[in-house]
Amino acid sequence: MFHAERFVEKSISILQSEIQGKALIAFSGGVDSTVCAALVNKAVGDQLIAVHVNTGYMRKDEPEQVKQLMRTLGLNYRYINASTEYYQALTGVEDPEKKRKIIGEKFIRIFESVGRKEDIHYLVQGTIAPDWIESGGGLRDTIKSHHNVGGLPKDMKLTLVEPLRDLYKDEVRKVARVLKIPVAERQPFPGPGLAIRIIGEATPERTKVVREACDIVEKEIEHAAAKGLMELPWQYFAVLIPIKTVGVHGDKRAYGNTIAIRAVQSVDAMTCHYSTVPHEVLDTISTKITNTLKKKVNRIVYDVTNKPPGTVEWE
Amino acid sequence: MVRIYVIDNGGQWTHREWRTLRDLDVETRIVPNTTALKELQKDHIHGLVLSGGAPRIGLKGSLGNCAEYLDAAEFPILGICAGHQFMARHFGGKVQPSKTPEFGQIELSLCIEEDSLFKGVPKKSIVWESHNDEVTHLPKNFITLGESENCKIQAMRHRDKHFYGLQFHPEVEHTQYGEHIFQNFIGLCEE
Repeated sequence: MFHAERFVEKSISILQSEIQGKALIAFSGGVDSTVCAALVNKAVGDQLIAVHVNTGYMRKDEPEQVKQLMRTLGLNYRYINASTEYYQALTGVEDPEKKRKIIGEKFIRIFESVGRKEDIHYLVQGTIAPDWIESGGGLRDTIKSHHNVGGLPKDMKLTLVEPLRDLYKDEVRKVARVLKIPVAERQPFPGPGLAIRIIGEATPERTKVVREACDIVEKEIEHAAAKGLMELPWQYFAVLIPIKTVGVHGDKRAYGNTIAIRAVQSVDAMTCHYSTVPHEVLDTISTKITNTLKKKVNRIVYDVTNKPPGTVEWE
Repeated sequence: MVRIYVIDNGGQWTHREWRTLRDLDVETRIVPNTTALKELQKDHIHGLVLSGGAPRIGLKGSLGNCAEYLDAAEFPILGICAGHQFMARHFGGKVQPSKTPEFGQIELSLCIEEDSLFKGVPKKSIVWESHNDEVTHLPKNFITLGESENCKIQAMRHRDKHFYGLQFHPEVEHTQYGEHIFQNFIGLCEE
């Protein structure tokens, strides 16, 4: 069995001998990077600097929440708003692998520049098993390049430290509970963020649309789960499909985009079953999204694909 | 403690096989499929899992040193997906592209009354799949243990040795009796 207490003990002693000097951690505020930060902080204390990069593809109010979380955890942190840079780098980019690689490389370049300024030589990442498995390499096929593995530039100057590499999300959550970290039950959110929830070019305008739709899906599903109407899924969000269909708005023709609702059940993200969201919940989400985003979105679909053959995120 | 290694043929779920074994308190490691049999014997392993593999790897060609393991092993071997397909080919069976490939949730029907690997598994159960190719002709000395609607050889066994091949994936969370099947395999390795 996996013993979280033993894992914490063992990791701390390994980290203390592995990290000689200052280290920075790529801190997204998700379960993996938060657990990783708490673990490394326990091992090397203030030698660790948490860096949160706002890519512009964060969810609603997320940058503020992440800053608050870094303060709660007592981390020595830096906040970098790089949205403009990211939007620029992704202009005209439609291919999902290209998006992931550009985002991955940009993260590293930002971390390297912090490293140079502050004399840091180690980069700590909350990489977990599915990240490197799906990124491929050697015999293994590349399913998608996770920004923290397949998206790493070859000439990276920082030394990588990845204490959670052999863990799956359910095990990371066990570690989170042992470390008493408040985000243990938070749903996963990918490093490339909303950029991979927009099919095609991830423009600032489309980002606004999918951010609003994601917020509605999250709130409604959490609300329904709290009321006991359904089980809280493993992950639940919206995807913007820039395909236009015809609708009618108050006797007038409408012609807008499509939003897909995605919700899945899983334990480790390696296989997933789509969630059975009650129709009344889907109904509320559908009405809210189309009414809130009426100029942009006039059709909602529900994704009923398992993994395999699908993956959780669409890109 | 029973020691079972996982031979990595490049599957997406190789690490899941390792995890399932570790969760069942087996001493386990993932080793590349280029590892010499001698190396494995040095560690006195009690059993081996041949993982699934990268696309179409089960269809033709060699699979690292898997042939050597199958020829010389005196311990139980469980081949999964590409590992199962290679086992079939190695002993004279045939592997071809599936007419209807299977991905995700499928119903497995067992077609034998009793078998050690499936002890305690009901006649019909939910398993998860991810394959483009399949075993179409059973090798000599093997018997079919289970089938699905679109794949007639979902599970097979050597008549005399504890060599098993499974087209489905017992290592993933969504396969209903997956851990149970692993537990049975561990039981065979302990004998």
